[in-house]
Amino acid sequence: MENFVNALVSGLISGSLYAAMALGLTIIYGVSRVFNFGHGVIAVIGAYFTWYLLSNFGVPFLLATLLSMAFMALFGWLLYRFTINPLLKKPNWEFSTVLFMLGAGILLENVVLQIFGPRVKSIPLLAEGALKVAFIQINWHEILLIVIVLVAILALSLFFKYTRTGQAMRAVAQSVPGAQVVGINIEQIFGMTFALAFVVTGFSGILLGTKYYLNPHIGWEWMVKGFVIVTFGGLGSTSGAVVAALILGLVEAVATLYLGAIWVWPIWFVLFLIVLLLRPQGILGGRA
Amino acid sequence: MLKNFNWKSALYILVIAFILLYPWLGASSYNKHLFILFFIWSIVAANWNLMMGYAGINSLGNIGFMAIGGYTAGILAKSFGIPPLLTVPIAGLVTSLVVTLALGLPALRLSGIYIALLTLIFADTLPSLLTQTREITGGAMGLHEIPPFYPGMDKTGAYYICFVFFLIVLGIIYRVIHSPTGMAFVALRDSENFAYCLGVNKFRERLKVFALSSLLTGAAGGMYVHALGDISPTTLGIEPFLLTIAMIELGGVGTFFGPILGAAVIVFGNEFLRLAGTLRLTLLGALICTIILFYPGGVIQLFHSLEHQIERLLKRKPSTS
Repeated sequence: MENFVNALVSGLISGSLYAAMALGLTIIYGVSRVFNFGHGVIAVIGAYFTWYLLSNFGVPFLLATLLSMAFMALFGWLLYRFTINPLLKKPNWEFSTVLFMLGAGILLENVVLQIFGPRVKSIPLLAEGALKVAFIQINWHEILLIVIVLVAILALSLFFKYTRTGQAMRAVAQSVPGAQVVGINIEQIFGMTFALAFVVTGFSGILLGTKYYLNPHIGWEWMVKGFVIVTFGGLGSTSGAVVAALILGLVEAVATLYLGAIWVWPIWFVLFLIVLLLRPQGILGGRA
Repeated sequence: MLKNFNWKSALYILVIAFILLYPWLGASSYNKHLFILFFIWSIVAANWNLMMGYAGINSLGNIGFMAIGGYTAGILAKSFGIPPLLTVPIAGLVTSLVVTLALGLPALRLSGIYIALLTLIFADTLPSLLTQTREITGGAMGLHEIPPFYPGMDKTGAYYICFVFFLIVLGIIYRVIHSPTGMAFVALRDSENFAYCLGVNKFRERLKVFALSSLLTGAAGGMYVHALGDISPTTLGIEPFLLTIAMIELGGVGTFFGPILGAAVIVFGNEFLRLAGTLRLTLLGALICTIILFYPGGVIQLFHSLEHQIERLLKRKPSTS
């Protein structure tokens, strides 16, 4: 019983981190229908940038995070403007963007490897100590992580609901011609979407870097997990991604407790196949 | 036959004659090895291109298919002593069956991105699965000393066997492209709705290509283990995956000769890439990005323009005489 409750808690924590990580994928796909196969390394770059500021310049954590988010926004916009935008004009854009981002992911991963070396890095914890309630023990750091993710998700949903840019993004996601008719500049919105998604992804990389270790290749593992999550929740659905991430995080924790860590991935894969067969639009997705 | 004879058929015959005679022209053992790699990888690339370039199946897991075939053939030959003449077709059939049931049926009905996701995740799961089943697959060390095609086989023997396999598979792919199935894909590409009106069943045609292509890729995996003698989870790694993608993109997606040309460039050029050491993957990633962004037609486009030049030159002659 104790173990089970503790497993649930740790599942909740990793689930919320996965949710943060999957959001960037689903935002880009939802608005522009580009599936980012270089997603993992984007998160890794955000985390490395923050780590570099923290450990080499002693910048305070909050400032380092803000600087890295500004960097990610610029990076996302530039990447869209100079590579994805011309690719989207070609007839076979759907798969050429996939292959392009795969290649770019490998390229960036190895650039990170060349600059920072293969050694494992980690971003320091946000808070020390642990909270103890009866037999449950949670680190303050992890409580803080959940709170941060919750606030971030809330902020994102407010952004999509109330700001003009957010509304325009949702309009483009629903229908590109419809958005054009009401005078929305599609390319501009796509660029902003990439910037926003890269900020979210980089931010999730920072959070993941505080909980787990960091190396240039870890992005692949994060990304493949993100793929399962966004498909499970429904491609392009942000709420679906959050729910799916929590479910899969809990599944992961419980499977690790009773079967061992090696079974997590096969169970995820089977769940993924079942969802794909029975409900291909995902648990909360609207369309197939 | 003679009516169709032109400089192009002459070129093909020359190339084939060269490959046939090459071991007799003092080829070193290492060069023969490179040619064997070229035969096998061009089959993998050509089959991948059949899916991706012709049928529009955005698979990212073909290296995984190859590994399934390779391991099946390796285990059958090593642990059960089944002759390679049987293991290669069995490897192809097993691969095709597993992959079509587990990936093709669920994903081919859905839009393109799902098959890319599912195949990538599938291929990503395989290495951990292989290390888990150490007793059968040898774990991270892989399988070694897999029996060759016949006892006492040397590089020249493997060279000719792989070359024959290469010609057979390319013949099959050529037939498929020019069969009603191939025509159906041309119709689907040009006008999807019109193709449906003509009675083309997209799902069924795609499933056929998926099954056939995974069968041939699995068989290529079987050829690989018998020709080279070992296979390990690194065969499934990111580098062979990227190299094969680069072959298809570099040669020209959706063309018959593109992937073969790309395989030749990459297999023989990889030796130069080796000089780059740790920068190798960086260069490969940059190469793929550059081709997709700036030269989406690939090397084959260069050849096509060359072909037009030659044809113009040839046509001019009769008019002057």
